Amino acid sequence: MQIVKFECKKALTSPIILFLLLLFTAYNILIVSNSSDFNKELHVANDVANSYGVEITDETLLKMEKDLQEELTHLNNITEEKAGQSFSSAGEFFSQLTYERQEKYSEDQLDSFYTIYLKEMYLDTAKHIDESYQKIDIKELGENNIQNYGLSGAASESLSKQYEKFGNRFDEMKRNMEHKRWFFAGKVYSMHSQLFKQLFLPIIFESIILIVLSTALITNYEFENKAHLVTYATKRGRRLMVDKLVASLAVSTILSVVLLAVALIVYFKVFDYTHLWHSSISSAFNWETNFPYVSWWEMSFLQYLVGAIALFYICMLLFSCSTFAIAVLLKNSYFTFFGFIAIFTILFMLQGFMPKSSNLIFVTGFNLTSLVLNPHQWFMASNGLLVFKYYEVITVLVAVVVITILFVFVMKRFNKQDIV
Amino acid sequence: MLVVNNVSKNYGDFTALKNINLEFGSGVYGLLAPNGAGKTTLIKMLVTLISPSKGEILYNGTDITSLDEEYREVLGFLPQQFGYYKHYSPKSYLMYLAALKGIEKKVAQEKITELLDKVALSDVANKKMRKFSGGMIQRVGIAQALLNDPKIVILDEPTAGLDPKERARFRQLLTELSRDRLIIISTHIVSDIESIANEMVMIKNQELLYKDSVENICNTLDGAVYETTITNDELASFRANHVLLSEKQEQSKMLVRFVHKGESKEDWTVKNPHLEDVFLYEYRDDLSLGV
Repeated sequence: MQIVKFECKKALTSPIILFLLLLFTAYNILIVSNSSDFNKELHVANDVANSYGVEITDETLLKMEKDLQEELTHLNNITEEKAGQSFSSAGEFFSQLTYERQEKYSEDQLDSFYTIYLKEMYLDTAKHIDESYQKIDIKELGENNIQNYGLSGAASESLSKQYEKFGNRFDEMKRNMEHKRWFFAGKVYSMHSQLFKQLFLPIIFESIILIVLSTALITNYEFENKAHLVTYATKRGRRLMVDKLVASLAVSTILSVVLLAVALIVYFKVFDYTHLWHSSISSAFNWETNFPYVSWWEMSFLQYLVGAIALFYICMLLFSCSTFAIAVLLKNSYFTFFGFIAIFTILFMLQGFMPKSSNLIFVTGFNLTSLVLNPHQWFMASNGLLVFKYYEVITVLVAVVVITILFVFVMKRFNKQDIV
Repeated sequence: MLVVNNVSKNYGDFTALKNINLEFGSGVYGLLAPNGAGKTTLIKMLVTLISPSKGEILYNGTDITSLDEEYREVLGFLPQQFGYYKHYSPKSYLMYLAALKGIEKKVAQEKITELLDKVALSDVANKKMRKFSGGMIQRVGIAQALLNDPKIVILDEPTAGLDPKERARFRQLLTELSRDRLIIISTHIVSDIESIANEMVMIKNQELLYKDSVENICNTLDGAVYETTITNDELASFRANHVLLSEKQEQSKMLVRFVHKGESKEDWTVKNPHLEDVFLYEYRDDLSLGV
């Protein structure tokens, strides 16, 4: 344990690693604060979930409609008094609002009208969920994807089968009413992308940079300071490398946890999720582009977040292990860093080089690079070419097996290698 | 205690050491050879950093590779190039190495204080090593080699960078340590070990040349070392015909020390051979001395 502490200290007192950790943390805070211009509107989704429960039912919609009618009466009382006008909805009020007319109302009045308008928007979307979901044809979606990606032969058949499974899951999701949960309006705020793409993705890259640098530093420290002849001739000998692996994993944990924890604390301070933690990640409101997010399993937002954090952490540990193996082989931090980047890039491009008629196009997608580049699609059935139920689990297991084999190989080689 | 049994080391086609057989008991052994002769290769094998291509090294009858930690636990090693962490103080660096040597924190703290005092570095124990002189770094290296109170101490060029005063102090320290230990010192500086080594090991052309006492090694040139005075003009032809060990300008003439096996001349004075004479004679090709 004492040795592991000494090894951790080497990375955690390195000026470059500390500087990058501070820089990245500041950058993540900036990302959150830059996208916080609409955070005052987010209370509406929370208020709705708080008032009517997170589940959307016909009864709650009726109740909400009735409440909104009362709020509209209040709006009309004010507008009649101020401008002699009345409106059938807050939307109508805002569509006729000009700068001149706006001056007749106080800031607070306009804010309360806007809240009514947002509630109307949520109510309208909720009322049309069934209609919107009836229009979705998963089989057609699969065929479109096959066409868009230009797939044929075995690849086309495989993707069709996956979309069949997705279709079953989609029906199950509808039966479970997972989509009928209040959540932030995806088309307006894109909160899922905001968190799992705009914030998670940079954190993943930052963590990888820090982890690769710190792991390479710890592993090669003796060789680069020419202290290897002393350290590997001590009682601990070549087993020092095992301590270095443990230290690399510990430092990787510290760095990635600090980066993610600070960013998430700031994010959830800025964006209020108080009443939406138990909403479904497959909510119809979590619909940002041409297709809603649909997870393979029934998951609340909180469960999805915990799953994403766990997957992020597992991936970071695997990146640390793979860097360690490269570092033991190359014995040079710079070569290790560039070697890692080369492998990362090759894995990213691999899928693109595969024949579009072969299942290899899917097989090559089961790699850590492809996995970490799409954090907003983790556990999702709507993941383009990688629409496999256990994609994340299989990718992690494949990585574990490959890295274990690589680790055993490099350690055996290192144990027999002359240290000169 | 330590037996080198028919050991060879090859790097591809290149042979670094050939069929070395040695036996070490307690005491000080000098490993003497010019740079590049294979000293460091032998030493790295003795400390398990590299493994022999052929043969075995035994400690108390067991192969050191299979003894693993058990062997290195009794080993203290100072490599030729002692690497250190510039941003560490001697104390913190030695604490790290003590952990690697399996020494408990409290025991290590006491031992480090004692050793830093022994190598006269107590006053800079907490200073970063980046501003240390070569001699100071070498003393840190000597201290780390003794951290675990080793039974076998192997020092590769330990006096490199030490000034004459530090060398004298180092020799004194070695004499103190040598009572119940095996100390192997590799060097190409004869004077460093001539007076303290019980036995000398000399390697030539990747093979063992001598393993004997200083006296016996010197006796190999008994009656063959001479001194004479010649003119500066005669020096070139003298060099061509004899193995010159040293040349010294004396007034307008040259006092030469040389090896000659065979009939001597009247004006030559026979001298007692020193270890340095044997070293210069045996390695005359490597050292590019005129023959």
